[in-house]
Amino acid sequence: MFDFPPPQIFLQLSLNGALGGAMYGVAAVGLSLIFGTMRLIFLAQGAMIILAAYFVRALFQSFGIDPFLSLVIVVPVGLAAGWLIYQGLFRKAAVEEDRNISLLIAVGLMFLAENLMTVIWGGNTAGVVTSYTASGIHILGIRTSFTRTMGFLIALAGTGLVMLFLRKTLVGKAVRAASEDITAASLMGISPHRVNAIAFAVGIALAGAAGVAVATTFPFNPFAGFIFSLKALVALALGGIGSVAGALAGGIILGLIEAYVQFFVGGSWTNAVAYGVFLAVLMFKPEGLFGRPYKKA
Amino acid sequence: MANRLLEVSDLEVAYGDVRALWGVSIHVEAGSVVAIVGANGAGKTTLLRAISGLLPVRRGTIALGGASLAGPAPEAIARMGIAHVPEGRGLFRQMTVLENLELGAFQPKARANMRQALDKAYALFPRLKERAGQKAGSLSGGEQQMLAIARATMSDPKLLILDEPSIGLSPLVVQQMFSLIETLHRQGVTILLVEQNIHQALKIADYAFVLKTGEIAMQGTGAELIADPEIQKAYMGVLEL
Ligand SMILES: Nc1ncnc2c1ncn2[C@@H]1O[C@H](COP(=O)(O)OP(=O)(O)OP(=O)(O)O)[C@@H](O)[C@H]1O
Ligand SMILES: [Mg+2]
Repeated sequence: MFDFPPPQIFLQLSLNGALGGAMYGVAAVGLSLIFGTMRLIFLAQGAMIILAAYFVRALFQSFGIDPFLSLVIVVPVGLAAGWLIYQGLFRKAAVEEDRNISLLIAVGLMFLAENLMTVIWGGNTAGVVTSYTASGIHILGIRTSFTRTMGFLIALAGTGLVMLFLRKTLVGKAVRAASEDITAASLMGISPHRVNAIAFAVGIALAGAAGVAVATTFPFNPFAGFIFSLKALVALALGGIGSVAGALAGGIILGLIEAYVQFFVGGSWTNAVAYGVFLAVLMFKPEGLFGRPYKKA
Repeated sequence: MANRLLEVSDLEVAYGDVRALWGVSIHVEAGSVVAIVGANGAGKTTLLRAISGLLPVRRGTIALGGASLAGPAPEAIARMGIAHVPEGRGLFRQMTVLENLELGAFQPKARANMRQALDKAYALFPRLKERAGQKAGSLSGGEQQMLAIARATMSDPKLLILDEPSIGLSPLVVQQMFSLIETLHRQGVTILLVEQNIHQALKIADYAFVLKTGEIAMQGTGAELIADPEIQKAYMGVLEL
């Protein structure tokens, strides 16, 4: 007879899934921003997260800077790097409105970053081990790690800040306006290059924050980013393209799906199910789980 | 010569190899309402889009108060003082009425006067104040058109360009629209108006141009063109309300 697992298991799986999924979520928020203004799927986002993780590790190992404290360095560096990446790599393709070229540049950037990381730090799996890496905390009688909980909080805070920026500041509103109708936005005096650069800056800063979370929780290697990008893409589809909160929620849902599949079906199935869900959503609910069907303006 | 705000000379614009404007010249005096009328496909929208930088100029010149508009990007032209309400209105439908209005004052110069501009817009369009927190896409057609015009006035533009503001509106709302344009005119706003509602447009226009397959076929004061038998025969027979 099938033994129904104890309810504790469900709580534990949900917590693990949500905490892990929030990482996909922040990555998806970055994708969503960049897709919004440029209609570009920035496939290098995962590689940027891993790059940030290595950067965090370097700061820790060389200068003894606490990984969580390094947020105050990584986020501003991410903002600047995102701005430069747009101006240096994507601006010209954006002028020519060539999305295929933009996508190829993103893929090129991803491979370049992966291989540079391999040259600099080697191809082996790396991690950041601090005094608190092994410490756990208890919530509602279930156990979770301190670093994972911190990662989750970073994801929530990052997404919350981005939402505040988009809703409360005029520049943020301009980014939303440009995502909705770039031509109309330009008639308001909003420069497409400005909003593209801002989207990249914020997107890469989020990758930086996610890098801190990844560095402290998971072992990583230079090539781990691509899978991350793919998972973020699934999260984006689940949450509905164009919704920042949806992207985070999509990531958490994906994390839950993976956790449950891994436990009840088997670890080898998690990726197959994730991409199956991806296709199913695109086919049957392309506006995302929370979105209303697109209305043509 | 009076105070020429906008001067378009010998303008040629093409979509790929297909030319849409063949040497068009128009001018707009500061403080006036100028109408551009003509049949579907005559090139009215093309002319407006070239002025606001959405289409490249193939030949000829466009100048606003002496500064060339042939070359700068649309956002730069907007900052030079042109507010263009495009065909289809170009509202940010997912954003609120208030956010749309705020974005109308995005340019640095206008941003400083956001508060006053908003009060002025609400005085002119009380309906928009009631609906400030609503999504623009949820407004009725007439309200959306009012919002598009109100948003364009937020930057206190030198020239307000309206592309068929009355399209798709009920006759009553069309009347409101035209009286609104007259109010703006009285407030000193310079307006370049494209209309399919030819009779109404000529009635409020100080000066008008008739565009026919990419060329200016006729021009004169609104009153002159209304009285012109050829215009009456060609354009106003069926469109008269
Ligand atoms: N994007 C485009 N690509 C190619 N040709 C175009 C495009 N837009 C307009 N045209 C052509 O240019 C000519 C002028 O079109 P335009 O839209 O300027 O006319 P219009 O006077 O505004 O007409 P309507 O009253 O229907 O709005 C037409 O022959 C049209 O078919
Ligand atoms: Mg038109």
